[in-house]
Amino acid sequence: MEKRFELNASSEVLSPFRKELRQILVHEGWEKKTSDEILLAVDEALTNVIRHAYAGGSGKMTVLVRAAHDKIEIVIEDLGKKFDPTQVPPPELPRHKPGGLGVHFIRTIMDEMIYDPQCLEGNRLRLIKHKKKI
Amino acid sequence: MKIQSTTQGDVNILELSGELDYHSSPELREKLGELTGKQASKILMNLSGVDYMDSSGIATFVEAFQKTKRYQGRLVLAELTGTVRGVFEIAKLDSIFEIAPTVAEAMTRLGTKA
Repeated sequence: MEKRFELNASSEVLSPFRKELRQILVHEGWEKKTSDEILLAVDEALTNVIRHAYAGGSGKMTVLVRAAHDKIEIVIEDLGKKFDPTQVPPPELPRHKPGGLGVHFIRTIMDEMIYDPQCLEGNRLRLIKHKKKI
Repeated sequence: MKIQSTTQGDVNILELSGELDYHSSPELREKLGELTGKQASKILMNLSGVDYMDSSGIATFVEAFQKTKRYQGRLVLAELTGTVRGVFEIAKLDSIFEIAPTVAEAMTRLGTKA
């Protein structure tokens, strides 16, 4: 199953997008706790696009969701300024200052976070989560 | 997200419901800013209706927590849903915040009967 979302880089789109992604996760048989976590990780990645790549300005972001029987892959693309979350150092935890946790959430939740350094314009980030074998 | 603000004795209670994310957290930040601005000594956050929270929500709580600490105030979080508790755990903040299982327990901890 593959689905593509074209979104405005604006905070209003986050909640409706999460609803759509939750439906996909339920349909693909992900358990609730892991679904909640994947939603959080993808939400944090999109929030980073809005905050850092577009710095609050307008722009587009594309989310490609590829679901297989054993994993889900989410590819997020934008045309904003370069922001590589894989280069963000891990925070000291527990954090006593507000902020700086979004990338930590993505790293903790997803099995893979791959930034494409060869993306000529904007950013391309791949997030992958494998289903646990029972 | 909805924020209902009440007082019970000397406790300021904020009851939140809905989703707390990058879009909605500025509203909560403003409400908490009003309370910490007037150095409210006891703030209780009822989170039983919060079904989603991201790092923006966590950041809002951390900021308010730091402010209340500066003037020896107290911020107690109550009735976290499983989803919200999970986010606190990933951030390893569940041991930093004062978290009560129920609003009644939070009121007792704050020295006020529910």
